[in-house]
Amino acid sequence: MNKRRVDLTVNNRAVSMMVEPRLSLADALRGELGLTGTHLGCEHGVCGACTIIVDSDPVRGCLMLAVQAEGAEIVTIEGATPVVGLSEIQAALREFHGLQCGFCTPGMVMVLHHLFSNNPVPSDSEIREALSGQLCRCTGYQGIVNAAKAVAARHMHQNVQPRETSQDHRE
Amino acid sequence: MAIGEPIVRVEDERFLRGEGRFIADYALPRMVEAHILRSPYAHATIRSIGLDQALALPGVHAVLTCDDLPEGLPPIHCRIPTHGDLSPYLQYPLALGKVRYVGEPVAVIVADTRAIAEDAAELVELDFDPLPAVTDPAAALAADAEQVHEAGNLAGRWGFDLGDVSGALEAATFMVSDRFSIQRHTAMPMETRGLLAYYDVGRGLLDIYGPTKVVHTNRNLLATMLRMGEAEIRMIEPDVGGSFGARGEFYPEDFLIPFAAIKLRRPVRWIEDRVEHFAAINHSRDCVFDVTVAADADGIITAFDVKLVTDMGGYIRTHGDVVPSHAGASFPGPYRVRNYRLDAMTVMTNKTPTGTYRAPGMFEANFARERAIDRLAQKMGMERAELRRKNLILPEQMPWHVGTESVKRPTIFDSGNFPLIFDRATDAFGWSLPYQREVDGWKRGRGMCALVEPSGLGPFEGVRIEVDQHGRVQIFSGSSNQGQGHETVLAQIASEVLTVPMEKVRVRHGDTGIITFGGGTYASRTAIIGGNAVYSASISVRTKALDAASRRFGIPVEELDLREGAIWHGLNNEPVAKIGDIARMLMPGNQEILQTPSAGNIPDNDGLVVTSYVRAVSAGAAVFAVHLADVLVDPATGETRVERYMVACDVGRQINPMIVEGQIVGGVAQGLGGTFLEELTYNEEGQLTTGTFTDYLMPNIYDMPPVTSLVFEESPATTNALGVKGVGEVGPSGVAAAVGNAIADALGTSVGLNTLPLTPQRVIEAIGFEVGA
Ligand code: FES
Ligand code: FES
Repeated sequence: MNKRRVDLTVNNRAVSMMVEPRLSLADALRGELGLTGTHLGCEHGVCGACTIIVDSDPVRGCLMLAVQAEGAEIVTIEGATPVVGLSEIQAALREFHGLQCGFCTPGMVMVLHHLFSNNPVPSDSEIREALSGQLCRCTGYQGIVNAAKAVAARHMHQNVQPRETSQDHRE
Repeated sequence: MAIGEPIVRVEDERFLRGEGRFIADYALPRMVEAHILRSPYAHATIRSIGLDQALALPGVHAVLTCDDLPEGLPPIHCRIPTHGDLSPYLQYPLALGKVRYVGEPVAVIVADTRAIAEDAAELVELDFDPLPAVTDPAAALAADAEQVHEAGNLAGRWGFDLGDVSGALEAATFMVSDRFSIQRHTAMPMETRGLLAYYDVGRGLLDIYGPTKVVHTNRNLLATMLRMGEAEIRMIEPDVGGSFGARGEFYPEDFLIPFAAIKLRRPVRWIEDRVEHFAAINHSRDCVFDVTVAADADGIITAFDVKLVTDMGGYIRTHGDVVPSHAGASFPGPYRVRNYRLDAMTVMTNKTPTGTYRAPGMFEANFARERAIDRLAQKMGMERAELRRKNLILPEQMPWHVGTESVKRPTIFDSGNFPLIFDRATDAFGWSLPYQREVDGWKRGRGMCALVEPSGLGPFEGVRIEVDQHGRVQIFSGSSNQGQGHETVLAQIASEVLTVPMEKVRVRHGDTGIITFGGGTYASRTAIIGGNAVYSASISVRTKALDAASRRFGIPVEELDLREGAIWHGLNNEPVAKIGDIARMLMPGNQEILQTPSAGNIPDNDGLVVTSYVRAVSAGAAVFAVHLADVLVDPATGETRVERYMVACDVGRQINPMIVEGQIVGGVAQGLGGTFLEELTYNEEGQLTTGTFTDYLMPNIYDMPPVTSLVFEESPATTNALGVKGVGEVGPSGVAAAVGNAIADALGTSVGLNTLPLTPQRVIEAIGFEVGA
């Protein structure tokens, strides 16, 4: 099958790849770029394990074709993770036992990462809404919600403001 | 003190960073990918399979069918003792002559990529003669039923007849009879299965990445099927995204992928997709109980009379009939009922074969028994908790022999103070406090389930502990891990005994290359049997280190002590040696302790290394638990909302309370899925009609009530040195029962709510029946 060239930015790096038009974005990130932290739990858009950030919005990587990502700016779990150790959200998930098998975890981290960058002190119902498209078979969600609430409470205490959502650097 | 601490898990960091290594993340040079072509028919005779077009597609390397299987290949062996001979029902890796369920493997296509292999699958010409599909056990048992196998649709029939059931039924003052159905559903881990097999042709060695759960058992099974030496095959567990009983059994693919790798002399990887998973993974539950429960005028339950019919699907797999077997053996639950009769039938149908799913047989039996007990209480006019309390097995009756057996092991509850835990549970929940029965037009109800969950089954577990010169401890465990937290739990035990910090302890598992024998992970056994193996090996390491220090420094061993990872003498300010120094002294060839290893043998200088195999007591460790729920029901729509949920249980001793709670809460979520949402349904042609996540609904965050776990350490297990009991299956086990009882209480009905899942439709159907009607 004819391959097409796609140029995009992944985790702040310009990359280009040659892909079949039918290849999903998640498969391309995993297979072409070796970013295997993005997981595939269903490949039909329900479980949320493949969630990545595309142009500032959470997107299911299994439902988007790689060729649709031309020019896009993408953040994967690898980009949402510090060089060493854990981000605040990740550390809270560990502290509150918000993961067991860890398969759904990158997707969970990505939606929470997105939530907290836009809304540092989300309400309980905003937290639940953000997580409502993610399936976890292990935890029953309680630890995940508790982790997110703890981060929100800490932010409230520290008076954290939303991150500037400037996209100028993409031009 | 590491045991009993809610230590954060050592495995978490890699998962949170996206650095877990799941099977789809593995690749090898020259690797090709496999796709399994599966039967589109539920029941059909295979006339021919045309491969020409598929083979002609560029990028396709091979298409293997049953004609390629080795001559004399046995079917996939059942690893568990069964009731009667089930061998006529075993499955071959590829269908031979006939297909018996939609999804049965028919061919393996190997190509450069998964996408090409799937394209090629479209080009395979299947010439099949469809036969009528048998989709229901009742129909399967009819005289003129289509036969799924030549041996007949009734695969097994067995039971118990303990005490005098007929006499008790005749003498009963109160009696309730009812039918309870538990729908087909299954584990559905978030990660699908996958395998990567690599055959080193020159050395004749086969490495397989992807197996889990029971890797040693699977390795031995594959060695028999491939006629290879057991140690010539290495099965290696990657990070695994959940099993819950289903994943990690030996499936057709566990033969087919290594077989293809040998045949093609190239690494072959197969990654299951979700739709495939629905048809291929063991299904579970799917059974019907006819229950009669009898009581005397004082509310003493005098008999259980039970018929159990289980739909096994198209073949008997590695689990045999263990699910109905456990259900039957433990049906009487925590009650001291001596008259118990069971008539169990296992029936073949043209559906996906079945196996275990977390709390196998117990979720089912608890639902049937506890719903029947609520009915009985209604009929007697006795308070529901009081009826249960009256009939609990008493502490002085421990160990309690139920009188039944499952998989050739007697059902025995080793220990427990059931009434004490029951009282604490009902107090903590506020069971007897009055509650508002109506809230904004919704009706509130309260329900409970008392249960005993057997745990820690299976013959043995093994571990080798190695301490290196730097004082680092490696644990090579024969068990496996699919997310439960075993890397943390096992490390905690060694850390405690060896007095080294958690950071210095590493746990490796699920790899036949690291330890000769292993049991694996199932039946909530790892903390118990795997944990006790680590405990026993750690104690031996300590003894060995103290003995070595005693000889090296000439100090009587009684005066030495292991603390803070070092050997101390009395109240001295400095340690005699660090544990790493002792490990160095004990390295073979080191002469610091043994001057002249004469005669070539080095009896003691074999490292600070201990291998320990611990035998399990066959009855395991019994966990008593009480599930309690408050629900709200909208009588107009049948919609149900669980308001609050509590699980109280006695686990003997906790190794990591945070992990215990996580197991319980996560288990309740799965139980709620089975209670309200999840169902694998088939149409008359035997096609699975709920084969994606859009039709098969699993609990999301909005489906979860607040869940409280109340964990007691009242009665340590008497069957293992640590005193621990397994907590993996307590969570789901009682959910359908407690919730079903709560809905019935809300509606004030004594009819209905016998069939899972409890959909709004079924809830509405239960409205309008008066108590006692
Ligand atoms: S893999 Fe994309 S939503 Fe499930
Ligand atoms: S931690 Fe296993 S699926 Fe969420």
